[in-house]
Amino acid sequence: MAIEFKKNLAVFSDFVGVEEAEALLEWLLKNPKGKINLADCTHIHASNLQVLMAVKPTIAAQSKDEDLQLWLSTLLN
Amino acid sequence: MNSLLEQFLSEARDFLQGIGEKLMQLESDPTSTPLMTELFRFVHTLKGNSGLFDFPEMTRVLHASEDLMDAVRNGRVGYSQKLADELLEAMDFVGVLMDEIEAEGEIGKNHATTATELAQALRSLISDSKVSTPVAEQVSIDSFSEDGPAVKAISWDELPTLNLAETVAIELYRCAINGDAVFWIEYTPEPECFFKGEDPFFLARQVPDNAWRNAILNNTASSLVEMDVFSSQLVFQFLTSAPAEELDDLFRYVPDQIHRIEIPALAFVKPIGNTDESVIDDDFINNTLLLLENDDLDGVARTIKTMLELSAPELWSSSALRWVLQLIELEPQNKAAQRLLLESLRTLTPPDWSTLTHSVQINSITTNPVISVDISEFPETLLRDFHTVINAQREILSLPANTSGEWSVGRLKSVAVSLIGCYRAINQAHEVEAIDAALQNALAENSPTPLLTWLESALTNVPELTVTEEDPQIATIFPVATQNEVKFGRRVEDTTAAATASKTLKVDQDKIDRLMNLIGEMVVAKNALPYLANRAETVFGVRDLAREIKAQYAVINRVAEEMQDTIMQVRMMPVSFIFQRFPRMVRDISRKLGKEVELVLEGETTEADKNIIEALSDPLIHIVRNSLDHGLEQPDVRLAAGKNAAGKLLIRASQESDRVLIEIIDDGKGINPDVIKHKAYEKGLIDEATLERISDQDAVNLVFAAGFSTADVISDLSGRGVGMDVVRSAVEKVNGTVGIESEVGKGTRLYLSLPLSMAVTNVMIIQSNQQIFGVPMDIVVETVRVPSIHIQRIKQKQTTVLRGRIVPLLSLNDLLASNVAQLPNEDNEFATLIVRVHGEHVGILVDEFRETVDIILKPMTGILGGLAGYSGAALLGDGSVLMVLNPRELI
Repeated sequence: MAIEFKKNLAVFSDFVGVEEAEALLEWLLKNPKGKINLADCTHIHASNLQVLMAVKPTIAAQSKDEDLQLWLSTLLN
Repeated sequence: MNSLLEQFLSEARDFLQGIGEKLMQLESDPTSTPLMTELFRFVHTLKGNSGLFDFPEMTRVLHASEDLMDAVRNGRVGYSQKLADELLEAMDFVGVLMDEIEAEGEIGKNHATTATELAQALRSLISDSKVSTPVAEQVSIDSFSEDGPAVKAISWDELPTLNLAETVAIELYRCAINGDAVFWIEYTPEPECFFKGEDPFFLARQVPDNAWRNAILNNTASSLVEMDVFSSQLVFQFLTSAPAEELDDLFRYVPDQIHRIEIPALAFVKPIGNTDESVIDDDFINNTLLLLENDDLDGVARTIKTMLELSAPELWSSSALRWVLQLIELEPQNKAAQRLLLESLRTLTPPDWSTLTHSVQINSITTNPVISVDISEFPETLLRDFHTVINAQREILSLPANTSGEWSVGRLKSVAVSLIGCYRAINQAHEVEAIDAALQNALAENSPTPLLTWLESALTNVPELTVTEEDPQIATIFPVATQNEVKFGRRVEDTTAAATASKTLKVDQDKIDRLMNLIGEMVVAKNALPYLANRAETVFGVRDLAREIKAQYAVINRVAEEMQDTIMQVRMMPVSFIFQRFPRMVRDISRKLGKEVELVLEGETTEADKNIIEALSDPLIHIVRNSLDHGLEQPDVRLAAGKNAAGKLLIRASQESDRVLIEIIDDGKGINPDVIKHKAYEKGLIDEATLERISDQDAVNLVFAAGFSTADVISDLSGRGVGMDVVRSAVEKVNGTVGIESEVGKGTRLYLSLPLSMAVTNVMIIQSNQQIFGVPMDIVVETVRVPSIHIQRIKQKQTTVLRGRIVPLLSLNDLLASNVAQLPNEDNEFATLIVRVHGEHVGILVDEFRETVDIILKPMTGILGGLAGYSGAALLGDGSVLMVLNPRELI
């Protein structure tokens, strides 16, 4: 699994594929205060991107991938 | 180039040829449904095949053709000459692409635009209910900008609103002024794109040189709960200075989802900042403007710099002043723009650049077609092109009407559209009405005369041109219908040349087989020469002649061997030929069984003789089915056993000296020897005594016994008891071997070993009991002479130690049941042939070794066919018959 759902934190790692989008949305709906840890994430599929853009959760840790961080920091604020 | 691609290219050419022929036949019989269906099938197959490869341009055109043919087939669109032309042109284009693929292995980037155009033209044939209406209409009007249809010339109010930071804007402005086009790209992925395996975000991240980018979410759902995460609702926007070709290439799969606009430099000049206060008064503006009028640019710059030092940088006015400085530096001639920007300081609102269209267009790179200039100002080349197009239209109009005497409405309209386009291009748009009127007349009269008359009269108003030779630039400036029609026309003449240059030759297999048989005979005949030399020397006593014959033999031998090699290569086929059907088969079967299977294919390029490959196909299918059915477990069972839910099935081909080794390895439950033993016992294949003492490996091998089946229920996949013994006999028929290794719980490995080729066999001749026999060289490991004192007896068996290894020795005479002892040589050594049988080395004692020969092995038939100890017989050069032993069965 590219996303590990903890109590109040979803940890993204490597490449988060299209199949994770549904679970991500469900989790975010269930945990409205859930935070996202992107530190070890290199890319998220567009489906996940639109979930994040729709919900705009708090980012607990930015991605170490500079380009991804730039994208997400403008899109999720 | 991989073989699949090669095959595709060779097939595709046949299809193209077929499509051309069918279209020709349709022309004489336009209502024939079978022809239509056939044509559709061709296009459909070709499209499907092209989809296997990464040629989006080709697939796009073929897809459009397929849609069109489907519409024709269903009667939604009528067949017409125009349609045939478009289709042929599309096919010619595909032919051009194929040439390119063959020559360079890929399609050049420059074809993307043409592909889109062609596809568009084909599709517009579907949407037009009147098929005769030429597609030229859309194309000619849309594509008047120099950049082709992908980039449309736009007016100021169509530009997207840009909200950029000043530094970014300045940078982009500089780019645009320096001639690097800056593009605004809006990428709207289609909603269902996720199901096509696309990742728009990934694509978006690849956009090079972007100065600014954004993504917008168009969420249509009213609440988050209803949001459909698998339907793309994203829109990506970019400003990039990357070259157009690079962008075309990046978005080559989704050209229809891209909106690209070239942004004129001045569009970036947009002051931003705090407009609440301003320190600039009318006096300053008037003074600066005055300096500007007097061409004192240095003075202007000085004044502005002083002003900037006095005012706060975040003010709107300061931003505007900084922009004026930029303009002065980079566009010193563009007074109008500088003035407008300074004027805007009075109102503190951004300047409206559209008011200075004329001067802006001259200075910036974008050429807007709606400029009002006198025609004589036009560059010579443009005028020349204008005349070329007009002349082409005149020619079209003077063509005779078609056979039925009707003037095609479409042709008239097409001419009119082209004319309108031309006159627009030279800014004589007022002529449009006149053309329209002439067109209406022409349509009413169903004759080209009114248009022709108008054209003649109109041409007198345009400055004549003395230069008449063709300008190559025409292609870039006027991508209109006329040009479109001739673009691939040359292909028709080229095809004959291309066909002769084609590198593949399709030959009937019978001919190859005959050739191979003949070469086989030749090999045998060649083998007679050494005997002849021998006879010349011993019988006739002419030693010199014998030497000459031997020398000649060497030459013939070399040529014959080369011929043999070549014919073998002709017959060689990669195993991918049979492997390629597995992915689909495995997928289907695993679905049916509810299992998850990961199929891995290795060594697909390994080659073997066509007969071998063909003989292999059925056994392999059998084995793969067996593995799927019996070998791999259900996902839940696998998970319980601590394995991945998805079973792994590996099919690997490799070459081992002159044999092909094919392994089918699964990580399933393996074969339980106890189960096999008891099943075999139940079916009466083994007796009780065997059941007790049979080894596990032998038990596993029982699956190859005839009539053996472990499955309790006969399914449509396996369980009829004809499985593995059929596999074994099929493999052995082509001189191959099959083996199995299995570990309970870990998996099963099945391996087939097959000769590369079966035409000519290299055998070693040995002598035993005053007879000669052949032994296939492929199983001979070495020949040694074992001194009799080194032969030990262990119980009844003779053995020797060879390089530290115990090798069992068997006497050939014993094996053949002739009760004679083997003869040692004068040093009391036994000639021993070490052979590899079932993976083990065994020594066979013979009387004497002789030479090795190439023979054509004829399997024994009839009553002799039952003698398993022999694999066949062959004729030797001296006419005698050589029996070839089959040590595998013999031992």
